[in-house]
Amino acid sequence: MSQTLQRSRGNHRVAAQGEPMIWLTGGMFAIACLMILCLLGFVLYQGLATLWPRNYLLVGMLDGELAAGEYLERRSYVLSQQNLKDLGPKSRAEAEGLLGQQSEVTSHQWYLRTGNYEVTNRHFQFVPEVSMASDAPLYPPDIWLLERRQWGNLYGFPKRFSWDIDSRTTSMQAVHEAMKETAKISHRMEAAKRELEHLDRRLANARLSVRQVELSEDSDLQKVTEDVLAAAMNETSVDPSMESRFLPVIQSVSQRAKDALMHLAREAIEVQAEQVHINEELATLEQEIQSRSIVMQLPVLDSIGSISVSKNALTSSKTCPEELHPLLGLEGIPSDYTMRAAAIAEHQFLVALQRSETQPTYVWFHTDPASDTATVYGLREHTVLVADIVRLIAPNQLSFLGKLGVYADRWTEFLFGQPREAGVEGGVFPAIWGTIVMTLIMSMVVMPFGVLAALYMREYARGGWLLSAIRISINNLAGVPSIVYGVFGLSFFCYTIGGYIDGGPVKAGFTPWPEATWFSALALFAIVGLIAFTLSFLTGQNAEKNSFWLRWLSLGSGLLWIATLVGVVILLIKIPMFRGFYEAQLPNPTFGKGCLLWAACTLALLTLPVVIVATEEALAAVPNSLREGSYACGAGKWQTIERIVLPYARPGIITGFILAMARGAGEVAPMMLVGAIPLTTDLPLDLEFPFLHGSRSFMHLGFQIYALGFQSQNSEAAKPMVFTATLLLLTIVTLLNLTAIWLRARLRKRFQSSQF
Amino acid sequence: MNRLKAIADGQDIESVVHEEVMSCDPVLSIQNFSLYYGRKQALHSITMPIAKGLVTALVGPSGCGKSTLLRSVNRMNDLIDSVSIEGDMLLGGDSIFSPGLDVIQLRKRMGMVFQKPNPFPMSIFENVVYPLRIDGERNKSTLMQVCEQSLRGAALWDEVKDRLGESGLSLSGGQQQRLCIARAIASDPEVLLLDEPCSALDPIATSKIEDLIEKLKGDYSILIVTHNMQQASRISDHTAFMYLGRLVEMGPTSTIFTRPRLRETEDYITGRFG
Repeated sequence: MSQTLQRSRGNHRVAAQGEPMIWLTGGMFAIACLMILCLLGFVLYQGLATLWPRNYLLVGMLDGELAAGEYLERRSYVLSQQNLKDLGPKSRAEAEGLLGQQSEVTSHQWYLRTGNYEVTNRHFQFVPEVSMASDAPLYPPDIWLLERRQWGNLYGFPKRFSWDIDSRTTSMQAVHEAMKETAKISHRMEAAKRELEHLDRRLANARLSVRQVELSEDSDLQKVTEDVLAAAMNETSVDPSMESRFLPVIQSVSQRAKDALMHLAREAIEVQAEQVHINEELATLEQEIQSRSIVMQLPVLDSIGSISVSKNALTSSKTCPEELHPLLGLEGIPSDYTMRAAAIAEHQFLVALQRSETQPTYVWFHTDPASDTATVYGLREHTVLVADIVRLIAPNQLSFLGKLGVYADRWTEFLFGQPREAGVEGGVFPAIWGTIVMTLIMSMVVMPFGVLAALYMREYARGGWLLSAIRISINNLAGVPSIVYGVFGLSFFCYTIGGYIDGGPVKAGFTPWPEATWFSALALFAIVGLIAFTLSFLTGQNAEKNSFWLRWLSLGSGLLWIATLVGVVILLIKIPMFRGFYEAQLPNPTFGKGCLLWAACTLALLTLPVVIVATEEALAAVPNSLREGSYACGAGKWQTIERIVLPYARPGIITGFILAMARGAGEVAPMMLVGAIPLTTDLPLDLEFPFLHGSRSFMHLGFQIYALGFQSQNSEAAKPMVFTATLLLLTIVTLLNLTAIWLRARLRKRFQSSQF
Repeated sequence: MNRLKAIADGQDIESVVHEEVMSCDPVLSIQNFSLYYGRKQALHSITMPIAKGLVTALVGPSGCGKSTLLRSVNRMNDLIDSVSIEGDMLLGGDSIFSPGLDVIQLRKRMGMVFQKPNPFPMSIFENVVYPLRIDGERNKSTLMQVCEQSLRGAALWDEVKDRLGESGLSLSGGQQQRLCIARAIASDPEVLLLDEPCSALDPIATSKIEDLIEKLKGDYSILIVTHNMQQASRISDHTAFMYLGRLVEMGPTSTIFTRPRLRETEDYITGRFG
């Protein structure tokens, strides 16, 4: 005994105790945590930082250019012999000095948001530190940032305003005032445009009713419709006598067609009159909009000549040099102007020339120390309509609190605003709303299906190989790539069912039977259904008698029921009379395309396995003793399920259901195929009748991330938006999951038991 | 020991049922009842009367079929697919296993209490009136009346009368079991079936339940399965000793516990076997 003990001590292995496994398992755990934290931290930082207003800087380059932009970050990069050739001569000399004999060296570059896209053709710029003429950039205090409806951000110095400014206010306040006014005008213009759309719809509806008559009578009214519309162009108002003037045009058609055409004529005349009126109003408003504009000076250089001035004279003098005056074409006499020069680099100056009460004119001097001359560059001028400005700030003048205010304002716009510029700027409200509405409809579809199916499988179905096979299949279905569901949804829901709703069996790709065949089939399946009903009625009556032939009878009735169901489907797809609910709109599809309804159905299908599995698990967790207790009280099967099983399983069911919602809300791949589009202002649920628009395409947050990041023309500009949208989606999914946890805890508490 | 050995060998034996039992007025009579789980026979042609207004105890070693017999009375075994039966039982003259019988109506004539307390996940009040609720009773005063009556019957009223709205699961184990008894008697059943109702309870709770059974005797006919010989001797009027699916001896409790006719019964009762 003692011998064996000693031997085992002699062979003592650390691994036998399992101690090293702590390091392995703990290490893996730490790595997993680290990865999750990295992902979250990255998204959180990028998402939160995007909308924060940064300082705007100007930095002079060795080769005489000017780099300007919102400073985003300093990045390291590898400076090698290869990328020397991209640099100008002076920068290259500097870089060669830095490289020495080495083939490559790590250097830094600044990442700037340049804006001014229509002039610079880029949104962002990398500025290598080796090319900079100065380490200290200039932060011009009176630079403005205009966030616009089109073309993105514009940075520049204000120069002239097209309207008179009250001298008591600052120019910025004046622009803000003007923005409010133009906003009112824009509002009225939008209302007028909506009115125009409404008129278009009226006309389209009138044409649609003619088309419906055409379809029902199988006649061709195309020509006469055009004639009626042409004749209506000559009318000015609707009056009782007009009918006589239209009679020669429409005399060859039926009474119904006549009515529809006359209705069309009246609508066309009214619409035409109102259109003229609204277009006049629009033109006036447009003029007002055009009358408010600002001329901005952008930090983009245009050489305009050279003057002889020394560096010292430039920095010490407070007055404008005489020679400069004709070059710039300034108004008034030179002595009216004061001059301030700010050094950007040793030989580069930003010079502001200002006459009292007006905005300063900026020029850029590049002095030559050898000859005491300076090359003068003007800043490029660019006119901006006030109506185009969404937000105006002076980034370099903002205090921390001011920046916080801008930040909050931008977030508000992001969450509740409409998208601008193909979704790159502005808000994602339609995407948030679309995601929410789609997820809600999905839950309404998936909930009854999932719970009832799980109830049948767990409470009613007799166990056996078939049930096991079905259960395994459902579990596997949860692992099918979601794009597969997208393809299925597109072909089945959109094209088949949607096509069927739009234009009947023909549009859905089926060949209808001749009427005689179809009615014979109808009779046949009616008989089959009748037999099935009789058989199942008989077996139900004698359910207690457990005889052999009864079992075959019930099997037979089951098969006949299935045959009847198949028959109904066949009758539906082969029906010759049905031509769809939206035939008149064809070839424009109504439901026969990706839309909200089919997206919700596809996602419901995708989350069905999750709901079924979760519900089944929740039902399996209901103690059998409760069911027995209920049966012993004389409760029936459904009473037991309804009163005991379902309430007990509810927390589990709801948890699974919310997890399914979270999965559905984050799903992108099927959305690309069945209804999400990158940009629309139409909401799927709004105040317009019939409120819920199942046939509309919609914006979806997950799809938005994909479309912006990888499909938009300018994905670099969209990158910040991608991160912000990602953060938002993560937040929504996290909130849903937290709700699930909270709900489960709350419901559990109600059933908490104090056992002995 | 010969009889028990004979049973173990699969031979049929004659059950000994005392005349006192045979001559009483039965509320339930079990007649040649056999039960099979698939091919395996669990009960062998059992014949015994359950006397009206008295407590009948079923005793015997584990696996002897006591619970199976009890669960056959209200056809809870129907829930198991592979079960088949022979023979019959009569409840007040009605055949329990006749083909046309409505099982739900049958179960409403009996109350059942299980080994582990199984209050439903709802309030104490709703637990008690559950049998009435499933019958569609909505009248608040009727429900309240039945609730109070049943809880008083189950000696629980004083303990819970102020918190009828609380979850039935918030009660202690013994209270939960009495709540289950209250639920079982709420529909005013003819027979009360108790399946080892005290096996999961501590001695104090057990004695309360035993007192309760004493109290309920007379109003209800009680059939109780128990492993506890003292309990059987304390509370029951008749005792049936079963072994491996067969009834060995049945008689008045006093006789069975003092001078049973069979030595095998005496051995089991006194703990020399089993």
